[in-house]
Amino acid sequence: MQEKAAKKILIVEDEKELMLGLATLFKSQGYLIIAAYDSLFGISSAHKEKPDLIILDLGLPAGGGLYVLENLKNSVETFDIPVLVLTAQQGIDLEEKVKQMGAIAYFHKPFDPELLLNKIKSILNISSKA
Amino acid sequence: MNKQDKTNKIDHKLVMQELKENPYKKLNLAFSLMVVVPFLVFFYLLTSRFFTIGILIGNTGFILATAFFISLCGFYIAYSILKNIFSKILAYAAQAKHSDQLKSTFVATVSHELKNPLSSIKINIYNIFAGFIGQVNEEQKNVLGLCQSTIERMARLINGLLDLHKIEAGVIDLKRNRLNLAEISEKQIKELQILADKKNIKIIKEFLDESLSVWGDEDKLSQAIVNLLSNGIKFTPENGTVTLKIYPDDKLVKLECIDTGSGIPDDKIGMLFNKFERLNATKEGTGLGLAITKDIVEMHRGKILVESQVGQGSKFIVVLPRDLRLVKR
Repeated sequence: MQEKAAKKILIVEDEKELMLGLATLFKSQGYLIIAAYDSLFGISSAHKEKPDLIILDLGLPAGGGLYVLENLKNSVETFDIPVLVLTAQQGIDLEEKVKQMGAIAYFHKPFDPELLLNKIKSILNISSKA
Repeated sequence: MNKQDKTNKIDHKLVMQELKENPYKKLNLAFSLMVVVPFLVFFYLLTSRFFTIGILIGNTGFILATAFFISLCGFYIAYSILKNIFSKILAYAAQAKHSDQLKSTFVATVSHELKNPLSSIKINIYNIFAGFIGQVNEEQKNVLGLCQSTIERMARLINGLLDLHKIEAGVIDLKRNRLNLAEISEKQIKELQILADKKNIKIIKEFLDESLSVWGDEDKLSQAIVNLLSNGIKFTPENGTVTLKIYPDDKLVKLECIDTGSGIPDDKIGMLFNKFERLNATKEGTGLGLAITKDIVEMHRGKILVESQVGQGSKFIVVLPRDLRLVKR
């Protein structure tokens, strides 16, 4: 029986401790992790690795998360990769804005890891069926 | 010019930029009109009533010229005095605005900077708790559970601070819609039912008019109702009741949250809505819930009142206008 390939998740987050936590959480569920610590590296990793899901922080160095999101959604190679936004930023209608820009889900920090995991599972199941 | 004056001048410029029009223009225009009108009257009287400019010659002319000169000086002095007062008012307004902005930026930055590390701690503790990093025994799990509840409390505190800051800084735009109060209260009661069941507290609904509606922001009013109900549940001992009443009162809608808790002493009622004021420190809470509730009610041009008797319980009354058009600003 051929083993099903593990799903790849790209995490674009500049907080190393949070990155470590997210990576441990996702690895425990059998996902492959690609880490990017800034906007530009995030965009280039998305193009190079073609992940199944991108976890994107908004307060990033070298451009910011909104710039990354815009870039990913405007590229023919990455526009169909689901993007889940994680942010500590507070803004009026920020959630609405990122969803309009193409993000599939929005989590506000500090988020519930269990809820995040469930959401990721449901996104990856939907995208694998599609 | 001392340093304070320089700061004031910078502040005026900033305020004027924000006003998008120069308030001095209006002051100048008002004074120009004040000067022009007597001028016109003077020439009108001179040409149409006195029929001659001979009046300008001799003693009468001298008196007229002197009177005219004195009146111009008067205008100039009055203008200077008013301009000075006007500048001071602008400077104070600017100072108040900038200190408010500084405070707001500070709170927003601090809260934002606290949320990132808090997320890291939360997720890493969850990973240990869930056994993703290695086996954890029951005793260790208990300690980690305590850490998790502390993190939750901190998160609530930060969110509360941010909510309060947003309301006070006026950065929240209310999305007003016609809301059915009974409907949104029903939703909040359902959400809090588990909390009430844990203490066997009965939540009683007394909606005298189920169709009662107000103009308001659903999220914000829901938050206010949740705060009142959860407060009621928190301070009511086991097997007690929390009653939510909604009824019309002329052009107002009244919402009452009545609990059978320990009540609040008279001397402490005044402190209830202060930020970080926790009258019962043994209960979990941030001390921001009632302050936020009060701000939300006031944003809807309503009022919040408290009646309480020690040993009997407390009653929080929210009074909201049914139609904002009937409320005088």
